[in-house]
Amino acid sequence: MAAPDASVVDSSSAAVDVHQQIGALTRQLHDSLNGLGLTAKVQNWAGELPDAKSRLSYIARLTGEAAEKVLNQVDQAKAQHDFIKTETHRIGQLIVKDPVAAVAKGHVMNFIEDVDKASRAVDQHLTAIMMAQDFHDLTGQVIAKVVNLAATIEEQLVQLLIQTAPPEAAVKVPSTHEQYTPALDGPVVNAEGNADVVTNQSEVDDLLASLGF
Amino acid sequence: MSKELRFLIVDDFSTMRRIVRNLLKESGFADADEAEDGVIALQKLRNSSFDFVVSDINMPNMNGFQLLSEIKKDEKLKHLPVLMVTAEARKEDIVMAAQQGAAGYIVKPFTKATLEDKVNHILTKLGLK
Repeated sequence: MAAPDASVVDSSSAAVDVHQQIGALTRQLHDSLNGLGLTAKVQNWAGELPDAKSRLSYIARLTGEAAEKVLNQVDQAKAQHDFIKTETHRIGQLIVKDPVAAVAKGHVMNFIEDVDKASRAVDQHLTAIMMAQDFHDLTGQVIAKVVNLAATIEEQLVQLLIQTAPPEAAVKVPSTHEQYTPALDGPVVNAEGNADVVTNQSEVDDLLASLGF
Repeated sequence: MSKELRFLIVDDFSTMRRIVRNLLKESGFADADEAEDGVIALQKLRNSSFDFVVSDINMPNMNGFQLLSEIKKDEKLKHLPVLMVTAEARKEDIVMAAQQGAAGYIVKPFTKATLEDKVNHILTKLGLK
């Protein structure tokens, strides 16, 4: 029988060692969390992380929609602007050629009406572009919540590290973040199946009307 | 007459304050001032004259509910219509705002037509238009 390959034995033994070390660390972490009463907090983080994920998805969706809306409105406004430019050039040529005919045949009046109509359309596109910027407010509130969650987890992990460090390595680190728990919910990132929230203005109006307001 | 009304727009996001201000201007209400939270809003309301308040709810220092409560407690300010414009969509928040005396409630995101309708409705109801 051939002797076992020394390198295979070493590698297998190292893997067992690493596995045992991870197991020991996990147990140590579990015991420390229990000892410090942090188990419930960890459970809270676990519950909040999927929420953070859906909040980030909400931000991605809202910013994407806003960008799309702005680009569409710019395309349409540019088309209106091109129309005004072309028509202005055309009416200019007609006036230079025969000013009396340009007025008498109604070209000038038609031009004025067309430009007025196009200007109104451009104004509507500009208003729509302005309204699309509301994503800043809505995503800003959601980002603040995710940042707070990250800061809370970071602070508690630092506290855990400090409290479990060997005495010679222990350094007192002042708390840099006061946990902020907003009393208000902010934008609804997922209203599906949530009967406690409204999803549009008509639901707000219906609710207030049902209460006599 | 309504074109001379003075508005105070309260929101912690400058983008939203600008949007509301521009929309009010487009609707014929050009006279407006801004405040970034309830504390500043209350100072401005007590030091100057306004006819209409458009307020967010979720703000630092003093939120929209607290501002609404302070306005309604103040003899000199309690007549002011306060229109809440907010992302808070919980039914209990909407009901609470109405019970505390809010003149209207708009949930974000909103349209130009919604803001215009609510403002005009409130002004008509109060005989200011």
